[in-house]
Parts: sequence; C-alpha cells; structure tokens
Amino acid sequence: MNAAALIQLAVSALAVALMTGLAALATRGRGAPPLDEAAARRLLAEEFPDRRPEALWLAADGHGVIAREGERALVLARIGDGYLARELAWSAALSAEVRDGRLTLPLREPGAPRAVLAFAAWPPEGARA
Amino acid sequence: MKIPTDPVTLATPFFILTVILEIVLGRFGVLKARYEARDTGVSLTMGLFSTLGSLPIAGLSLAGAIWCYHHRLFTIPMTAIWAWVLLFLAEDLTYYWFHRLSHERRIWWAAHVNHHSSQHYNLSTALRQTWTGGVAFTWALWLPLSLLGFPPAMVAIQKGISLVYQYWIHTEAIGRMPRWFEAVFNTPSHHRVHHARNPRYLDRNYAGILIVWDRLFGTFQPELDEEAPRYGLVHNLGAFNILRVAFHEWIGIAQDIVRQPRHALGWLFGPPGWSPDGSRDTSASLKAQWAARNAAAAQPASLTPAAEPAE
Repeated sequence: MNAAALIQLAVSALAVALMTGLAALATRGRGAPPLDEAAARRLLAEEFPDRRPEALWLAADGHGVIAREGERALVLARIGDGYLARELAWSAALSAEVRDGRLTLPLREPGAPRAVLAFAAWPPEGARA
Repeated sequence: MKIPTDPVTLATPFFILTVILEIVLGRFGVLKARYEARDTGVSLTMGLFSTLGSLPIAGLSLAGAIWCYHHRLFTIPMTAIWAWVLLFLAEDLTYYWFHRLSHERRIWWAAHVNHHSSQHYNLSTALRQTWTGGVAFTWALWLPLSLLGFPPAMVAIQKGISLVYQYWIHTEAIGRMPRWFEAVFNTPSHHRVHHARNPRYLDRNYAGILIVWDRLFGTFQPELDEEAPRYGLVHNLGAFNILRVAFHEWIGIAQDIVRQPRHALGWLFGPPGWSPDGSRDTSASLKAQWAARNAAAAQPASLTPAAEPAE
C-alpha cells in the first residue's frame, strides 16, 4: 500500500469517526422509551405473530422482556434502539444465570451469541415449573 | 489496469456531505431520518474497509475479465453512445440477477447479509457494503459482459455508476417520486420494501437502477401505506461487533456443514433458512405462514351471514 492510499485510508477513518460522533450527538437523549407491558405485548405480537404468551416478565430497565408460551420462551432484548427477538426452550431460559443484575440467555448463534437482560433475580416467583 | 474514472471515488465527498446533512436535518425534524451511533459506526466502517475486502481476489477477477475480453464475441467501442446505452441495460440486468441470487442462495446471502443487518434505513446503510463479495465470486456474473465485447474498464465504470445511483435510495427522507419515475426507476420507496423484514416484503425489489426488471420477472412489490417497513433481518443480530456483522453467516454455514457434512450442498446453495428437516424458516415459509394468518383472519368475516336489512 503506497503513502497516498494510506493517507486516504486515514482521512476516511477520521471522517467515519466524526460522522459516528455526530450521530451520537444528534441522538443523545432520544433513544426508544423503555417497554411497559402494553408496548412489550405489542412488540411480542409483531415478532412472534403465531405465539400467544401466557405470562411475561419485563426487564428492570424496560429494555427487554421474557414471555412464556407453553414450553417456549420468547425473548426480546434491546440492541441499540431496536430489538433482538429469539425463541428458545423454556427450560433453557429457566436455567439461565443472573450475575451483577444481568440475566444472560445463551442463544449460541454466530450473529447473536447471547441475550442480556436486566433482572435482579431469575427465575421470578411463579416462573418455575 | 487503471480504471479511468471511478464513480464511487468521485462520489465519496458527496456521500460524506449528505450523511452529515441527513443526520443534522433529521435531528431538527426537517426530514425523516433515524440514526443510532453504533449502527452508523458499523455501517460506515463496513463501507470504509469494503474495498480492502475485495483486494485478495482483485487480481483474479481482473484477470478473468481481461481473459474474457481477449476472447470477446464482438468489439464494442467505449466511445459510442449506443454502447453505453446497451451496457447500461445489460449491466443493470446482470445486477438484478446478481442481487436476486444474493438473496436466494445462502452462499451469496452470506456475502450480502451484512448490507441488510441494520435495523435502520438511512444513507449510512447504503455504505454498509460487503467484505466477502470477492471470495463469494459474485464478480463472475459480470464476466459475460466482457465476453460480449464490453471493455472491462467500461464495465467497471458502469458498475460504479450503478452503485452510486443506489446510494440516494437508502433514505426515509424521500416519500415517493413522481409516478412515471416510480414506474421505471428504483426509488427510495421501492428500496425500503427491499430492506424490510415484513413477510409480505421479503425477497422483493432486487433492482439496481431500473425497477422494470422486478416488474418483468415477478418480484415487484410496491410500498403500502398500511404496512410500514420494519428494517433489518428476519433474525436480527445481537451485537454491533463488526466482525460478527461481516462474517456471522459464513460461520453459520461452516457450523452447519461440520454438523451435517452430507447436506453440504444444501447448506451452501439452498435458500437462506433452508435445513434438511425443514425446522428453520425460509422467506417462502415465512410468506406462507403470513398468508395463512391473513386467510384465517379473513375467514370468519366471509363466513358470517349477511346481516338482515334494517326495517
């Protein structure tokens, strides 16, 4: 790679950093609001249209939800200002661990290795069985 | 061989300026634009390094184009207007099929998926370009143009023009263009449909510049006011890690092949979401589920007897 190409790459990298910074500045304090139950149900219906959740548990910060339909767990976890939506076995969700107020659900996918939600304790009362 | 004029390099200052404008005007509500800093950072960085990604294979693709041109069927002059018009149509048709293959076969989807991985639709999304298109040999689809007799430099310029054209359509700031324009050209509205993950919109509007190819080959879907596009992937990514964005589908293919090597061809050349036991969702199965839901929702109304006329 010659000097001109290196300079071009460096200037481009600087431009990328500046534009990313500008995006951060422009969107500060304008993130999506935390989920309440109604919003969570709406989003669950959108992401899992064939599922009818029997119960749901909102993350402490409203940035996610775990819902149960039979032996399936429906998970929404905030990524940026969007959501990651995945379905997994209820038993796998039940056995997930909480550490420092974060519940880590293993998804084991190359594009989404895990979903992390704010829960002080898991499973909550009534979620067992 | 040095390309005389690279449209993408020439347009780069315009890209930077318009992304800045879209962020700022979106911030003040002058136009519709939704940005998220980490998402923007990933898109722009993917764009920055996309050229480097094609370097390992650049020699081979160039040699292939030159070999084809040496064995050309016709000699097409680079200076004739008719030649450019012909190339515009031929390259755009090639792009349509390249793009369609990139969505319908997993090996090429693996190279293209990163472009669709943002949950946002703004000008920075246009720059979220592949790092692995070269190794996926997608460039081979353009070789017949050189075999026909179009000089490789001419093909490269036209490819650049197509890429630059497709930049401005990655925006929510423009609603709809005039009807005649929407009928002939790819527009922000048509391309919003292409980036949507709503089942109705999946695998539609593959056009580069001319939307007429989609109309011709039955893949056109207009944007509907009653169904706003939801952007991103059917299964959205769970991280902003740029390496995961660039390579996750390739890793997924490798894992599947290691698990079930006798289905390697299916894992590579089946549609995205294909699996031997049908346990995963493809675009076709998602569309079928959506259609079934719609039919079920419509059925009770159609079975309801007509109401007695009021007296």
